Amino acid sequence: MPSEPITAANGTIPRSLPVLRASRIAKRYGGVTALAEGELELAPGEVHVLIGANGSGKSTLCKIIAGATGPDSGVVELDGAPRHFKAPRDAAAVGISVCYQELSLIPQLSVAQNIFLGREKVVARTFVNSRKLNDDAARLMERFQGVAGENFFPNTLVSDLSADQQQLVEILKTAAEDGRIVIFDEPTSSLDNRQVELFFGLVREMKSAGKAIVFISHRMRELFEIGDRMTVMRNGRTVGTFDAADATEGQIIGMMIGNDIVSSAQSPQEKSPQARSAKTVLQADNLTGRTLNGVSLDLAEGEILGLGGLHGQGQSALLRSLFGADPAADGIIKIDGKVVKVSGPRAAMALGLAYVSGDRGRDGTLSHRPVFENLALARLNKSHATYIDVAAVSDQVLPVAERLKLKYAGLGSPISQLSGGNQQKVVLGRWLAAEPRILLLDDPTKGIDLQTKKDLYALLAELCLGGMSILFYSSDDTELLSVSDRVLVFADGQVVDELAGERLTEFELNQAAFASSASAEATA
Amino acid sequence: MTLDTAISGRSNAVKKWAPAVGVVRKPLFIAGVAMMGILVAGEIVAPGFAAPEQIIKMLVVAALLGIVAAGQNLVILGGKEGIDLSVGATITLGALIAGNVMQGQDSMIAIALIATLAVTFGVGLLNGIGVTVLRIPPLVMTLGMLGVLHGSLILLTRGRPSGNSAEMLSNLVDDPLIFGLPGILIVWIGLGILVTLLLRRTLFGMRIYAIGTNETAARLSGVPVGITRTLLFGLSGMFAGLAGFFILGFTGNVFLGVGDQYMLPSIIAVVFGGTSLAGGRGGYVGTMAGAVVLTLLQSLLTTLHIDPSGRQIIFGATLLLLMLFYGRQQRLRS
Repeated sequence: MPSEPITAANGTIPRSLPVLRASRIAKRYGGVTALAEGELELAPGEVHVLIGANGSGKSTLCKIIAGATGPDSGVVELDGAPRHFKAPRDAAAVGISVCYQELSLIPQLSVAQNIFLGREKVVARTFVNSRKLNDDAARLMERFQGVAGENFFPNTLVSDLSADQQQLVEILKTAAEDGRIVIFDEPTSSLDNRQVELFFGLVREMKSAGKAIVFISHRMRELFEIGDRMTVMRNGRTVGTFDAADATEGQIIGMMIGNDIVSSAQSPQEKSPQARSAKTVLQADNLTGRTLNGVSLDLAEGEILGLGGLHGQGQSALLRSLFGADPAADGIIKIDGKVVKVSGPRAAMALGLAYVSGDRGRDGTLSHRPVFENLALARLNKSHATYIDVAAVSDQVLPVAERLKLKYAGLGSPISQLSGGNQQKVVLGRWLAAEPRILLLDDPTKGIDLQTKKDLYALLAELCLGGMSILFYSSDDTELLSVSDRVLVFADGQVVDELAGERLTEFELNQAAFASSASAEATA
Repeated sequence: MTLDTAISGRSNAVKKWAPAVGVVRKPLFIAGVAMMGILVAGEIVAPGFAAPEQIIKMLVVAALLGIVAAGQNLVILGGKEGIDLSVGATITLGALIAGNVMQGQDSMIAIALIATLAVTFGVGLLNGIGVTVLRIPPLVMTLGMLGVLHGSLILLTRGRPSGNSAEMLSNLVDDPLIFGLPGILIVWIGLGILVTLLLRRTLFGMRIYAIGTNETAARLSGVPVGITRTLLFGLSGMFAGLAGFFILGFTGNVFLGVGDQYMLPSIIAVVFGGTSLAGGRGGYVGTMAGAVVLTLLQSLLTTLHIDPSGRQIIFGATLLLLMLFYGRQQRLRS
């Protein structure tokens, strides 16, 4: 491997004895291996960056270290002695604190109550001195004075705070726990530049107090600014640890996606450019909402436009707002050049849109109802029929079932008796039967088998030849790149890059997803 | 016999019996067995209990309950804790309107019917709007409506309700019409066919099951969830009004609280008939069977000289037992 200059083998030796060492950690969830061989070594007084693409196992590794879940195999050693944490409080008791990505605050309590939750000084086993609590909280909150926005006081209820303020409280809560080992799982994703700078100030103080800090972020610039050492993960394995000063962005991204994949990059040439006509079908202009920060795009007739990037950067929110499931607060949607208002799914359907969610249990299947109803529901709702002629409707939906190669006992059998992949086919079939012009696919292959996926790809290509236009979000980067004509890379609710032609590679995708957050901030 | 053959022998036996067990668990089968059991028990205690004319009398009463339960059934099928506790007061309201419009005149029957259905449909729609637009839980909304109706009825009639049934209506309920069956039974059978067709063969029916099964998926598939659910409550009010109309014909005149005794049984009939209180599962045929079983049970208890409070206890306990039984069954399946 000549192009890979840094590996685990020549990783640097920590400056002092490690406080924590996790070795050969493995964890499976059902049939999915979340972590195959996770390794992490933390020295006191360092900021250790943990980096990896979607599903590389960062969060799982952190959860195991924090005792939130147990490993299937492997050892976590603290000061050289192996530890088995049965619950997060076991880990907290020995000084491991975690600032979680999904906020763990209690909305009904005040900022001060949240910061000191479970550690309040109690009088006579019952009463909390709330004035002292508020004073203590105010002292901690001083750090973010001037950048935290309005109504950021110790007695403010957390439910009244904005997303970034809540994140600041989560950070202060973690800091107040005063652990020896502190894990920050994407703490900066909702913070602006000034808030991040002040947060880094806090991290540096913690570092000089001799704490070991793990920092996860997808903003490459931040990783280099604050990190002392870096550990890269890929497909559930730790692929290397090295000094931040020795690395470059390109090398890290190369390690994240693996050189083997780079060399066997997709051949986007296999798609004929003629497949894409010049006619724009769908246009979105500056869509803004809770998780969308001004997204614009245009979709041509017969095109598959991919939406990529890390999880939850606004891809799903975009599709749902286009379909009217969660309408955007602001922005313009045009279909065939005409401005349209998508007030809800019914309006979207009338405009020829269809939305297939990957979360079929929540958004798709009518579990114990017959396959027939599950296939015909959208078509019939669109048709305004009153009486259902079962024979006629069956004739209309049977070709769809055939086209999808659906395996089922009969139209009358409940959908719950089908395999997961076939259930997903039914949900897709429901929309094909409704004969849409624009298909919005929201991670439609999540948790379905390989054969079904292959069938789906072939079907999508066929649909596009027939003039269908498709917006395709997938959390599987390989799939996304091989299916899409173009890929828009999302970060923080914005489109940060557009990949097409020779740039349709995993390297480019990850570089855009990780690195261009800096440019996103600059405009924010 | 080795352990292996013992196990395989047992599993064969289980396989052989599995379909039979399935039938045993079917609500209609249970209802049938219950009906036979009650008739036999009644005949033993009081000879003549299961005589044809006696059975027809009981079926007439069952029809009145069955009509109320049709609306209750629709609301429960729609899911999201759908239930209508205001049906009793709505029945009384319906009977009162019908009696006052009719005032004993045959010529006013049609107008009385239309007026009754229109007003009670409106009351049901208010329930529906409260549930869908104001997002008040059905239990609370319909309980509130029950209180409002109760108070209004007393206020409007000053405690002395007026109005009485026309002769033709009373005859329709009591006297044989076709094949020796009273008209109300013909109406009920017709209603059974209509409601079943509505549920199985119309888009509206499909939407009811869709919102009862998975509201989010239904909404994303273009089901107008709010309108559908509002209409369900409207229909429940209307069916209660229709029941009130026929109850007027059955009793001849109106008294306050005439409908109160129907609320709990209408829910029990639906549950007995195999409709899940969680929504999305079940149908009206089972509910009809449930209404018949409950009416037979009530007659048997009356024959046994069990007073109304004792009957209440038995009815309430029946509902709880049914919940226990069906709840357990669903857990076993999943």
